[in-house]
Amino acid sequence: MLAGELTVLTIALPWFGALCIWLGGNKAPRLTERAAVAFSVFAALASGALIPFATNQVVLRIPVGGVFGEFTFVPDGLGILLACIATGIGSLAVIFSLDSMRGEKELARYYALVLLFIGAMAGLVLTGSLLLLFFFWELVAFCSYALISFHNDDPKAVAGGIKALVITQIGGVGLAVGVLLTYAQLGSYEFDALLRHSAQMPREILGIIAFGFLLAALAKSAQVPFHTWLPDAMEAPTPVSALIHAATMVNAGIYLLARFYPAFVNVPAWTTTVMAIGMLSALLAALMALTANDLKRVLAYSTISQLGYMVFAVGVGATLASQFHLLSHAVFKALLFLAAGAVIHLTGTRALAQLGGLSERMPFVRNAFVLGALALAGVPLLNGFWSKELILEAGAQNAGMAAFILLLFGVSITALYATRVTWLVFWAPPRETNKVASSNGHSRPKEIGDAPRAMRIALGVLVGATFTSWLLIGGVSEMFARTLTLANVHVLTLFEMMAEIFLTPLTWIALGAVGFGVWLWTARERFANVRASWQFVTRAAENSFGFEWLNAQVVRATMGAAARLRVTQTGQLNWNMVGIVGGFVLVLAVLMMRW
Amino acid sequence: MFSGLIAIAIIMCAVQAIRAARLLSSAVWLAGASALTALWLYILGAQQPAVIELSVGAGLVTVLFIFAISISGEEAFTAYPRVPRKLALLLVVGAVALLAVDLAVASGMPRAVDERAVSTLSDTFWNARALDMLVQMVLIFAGVLGVLNLIGHEEIKEVETPGEIQIAQTHLPQVVEPENEELLRV
Amino acid sequence: MNLSPLDTAIFLVLGLFGVGFYALLIVRHLIKLVIALQILVKAAVVALAAAGAASGKLELGASLALSVIVVDTVVAVVALALALQVRKHFGTLDVSELGTLRG
Repeated sequence: MLAGELTVLTIALPWFGALCIWLGGNKAPRLTERAAVAFSVFAALASGALIPFATNQVVLRIPVGGVFGEFTFVPDGLGILLACIATGIGSLAVIFSLDSMRGEKELARYYALVLLFIGAMAGLVLTGSLLLLFFFWELVAFCSYALISFHNDDPKAVAGGIKALVITQIGGVGLAVGVLLTYAQLGSYEFDALLRHSAQMPREILGIIAFGFLLAALAKSAQVPFHTWLPDAMEAPTPVSALIHAATMVNAGIYLLARFYPAFVNVPAWTTTVMAIGMLSALLAALMALTANDLKRVLAYSTISQLGYMVFAVGVGATLASQFHLLSHAVFKALLFLAAGAVIHLTGTRALAQLGGLSERMPFVRNAFVLGALALAGVPLLNGFWSKELILEAGAQNAGMAAFILLLFGVSITALYATRVTWLVFWAPPRETNKVASSNGHSRPKEIGDAPRAMRIALGVLVGATFTSWLLIGGVSEMFARTLTLANVHVLTLFEMMAEIFLTPLTWIALGAVGFGVWLWTARERFANVRASWQFVTRAAENSFGFEWLNAQVVRATMGAAARLRVTQTGQLNWNMVGIVGGFVLVLAVLMMRW
Repeated sequence: MFSGLIAIAIIMCAVQAIRAARLLSSAVWLAGASALTALWLYILGAQQPAVIELSVGAGLVTVLFIFAISISGEEAFTAYPRVPRKLALLLVVGAVALLAVDLAVASGMPRAVDERAVSTLSDTFWNARALDMLVQMVLIFAGVLGVLNLIGHEEIKEVETPGEIQIAQTHLPQVVEPENEELLRV
Repeated sequence: MNLSPLDTAIFLVLGLFGVGFYALLIVRHLIKLVIALQILVKAAVVALAAAGAASGKLELGASLALSVIVVDTVVAVVALALALQVRKHFGTLDVSELGTLRG
């Protein structure tokens, strides 16, 4: 069966490439680059070729003995869509890296990890076994950690990587608990077992599983209160940021929620929690994006905010809308990140205060970035508009008017910060001189030109996709409706979607909100005193609404407890053995209680 | 009767392996325990593990021990144990007693003989425990690396100057001293 | 007294187990500690084979015992290599001298 082979290729091609590049070492950087591009592009082609084979049946079954169940792979609509995003956007990020990473040391480590990352994400979304899901989940976490701290001589990069690893591991514990409880209850690691027989489990056990999975998804998708790792992950090389934000890492959480929504929908308070956290993330992160002063941090907060919309959409049961927005977001956020990466690469700075006036110097990058920002703001005919409208509509229908108004507020802020960041980078005059660049001897004005060739290719493809990816709604919805029988997805053809969106008054209200956001920026001088009275919100947003403080407190408490527990470490092997034997006696004693 | 005698012999060998003053005799007593354990496995009907235990446990591991002892030297000091003997004895007796009760309850339960599950050893290995086998191969690879380290050590030792060892020896007590004092205080 | 091999096996396992644990608590010589570990593993091997025989799944018990023997050999190899490295770096094989692991 061809579907099985294609599934294997999608996962194994990047991994095989990673192995080759890792073994090849740093001797021939050009060859390394070519191999990385070839393997990632072929993986993208393999995942694309999977589309006609979408099925809800197991296409690949690897028997590994009685204890671990069988390792199965089920390429259904949801999995294939995410695999295509992971490999497609991933290969564009690799192509972009050709220019932006050229001349860096240890390119082999970089490309091997990127390919491992892409393959792990493809595996995560294509597998049908909970145990393998957990394995891939942790592998993705490891790759993101290793790539965020790729510049491992920079303490900030290392700290950011460790923060990402620790926070996503907290989520990983939730996933592990959920997976093991499912196995203990149902005796199977198959997705289908959990989806179809969730009602047979005791309510409290199902509740623990549902919230365990939710914890995992929130940590992975950087939702409140676990979002703090994402802005700090900005120390990564920019193509890696694009990979984490658009192609792989954060999508995993949305995928997990959408995948198991049918199993948990009846758990009390679960959907409400999902909706509330999505909404909170969408709004708080949008405010933080408005006040951030670092180009990449603005984009990071905007990712959290857009993911919040998706989480919200899953919470109201709009699986198709959430995954469709995930596709749009992957495309335009990759575009924004890569364009920002070009800006950073060419100017050598990320501080918004030092950027500015670049509109004339790099027209290609400017056009790409503006297009991405427009899609992010939800301007009609770009992909972000359609998917966001679908989410707004679902929100208004299933969550009431109050939710819709809050969402509209978020839409306005999104438009406002998108305008702000674009303006500051390309049109506003730079407010500070770039000390780093001038001290390095790059006299800035002379050297800055437009993007080189590989960057242009990657950006060009994404520009095209930003214009066109919404045309896929018919195919995506058909694939979902055919293979996700439990998710209650209906076929939505392109014309139905257009009619639905243009004929509802909600769309026009939302467009008004977008226009209002853009207008707010153009009229910002007039609102100077209003802004002053909103100072407390600005300050709270700059301090990340106290979540960084909370983070620091948790770290302090953990370190303090560890310092106190040091007393128990004698450094004497025999005394450690006393601990082990004593623990053994305790376990035996507890086991005796059962009889 | 015969099996009981062998069991007693195994335990005697084990005790001697711990008590022996010379490291080499310890290793030989361990080899003896290993060989008799192989016989016991045969009595229990596990022929294949018995063969492996005899060749690997009694043979290869003993060679490894003798090899390591010959490199590190016969420095079998009889040091006073850090953990009070009474505490150790108490813990061990407690563990063994609890385990004995556990096992007595377990063997009192009806023995579940699964009639249809008649499979061969290789079948069990390659089908029911396929993933374990993979992990085991990785472990064997790690063992190979360990052996390489063991052999590599000898080569390094030859080029080592005695001065270096002396430095290491003189350094260490100074580092460890405070810990010892602290332990005594506690 | 008429004991079957399976019943005797319980006593053998308990005896080996006790000797091994006691040695781990008392012994300070690194190589002797590895010997103590070997004794503990002998107990585990016999226990697995006996459990297989008792439950009628002889081949499962035997296969697990076989795995344990293999793993145990690897452990012995790595532990001895580590012991030699310790000897090289610290000049002693007394574990209570190795206090630098203290956190």
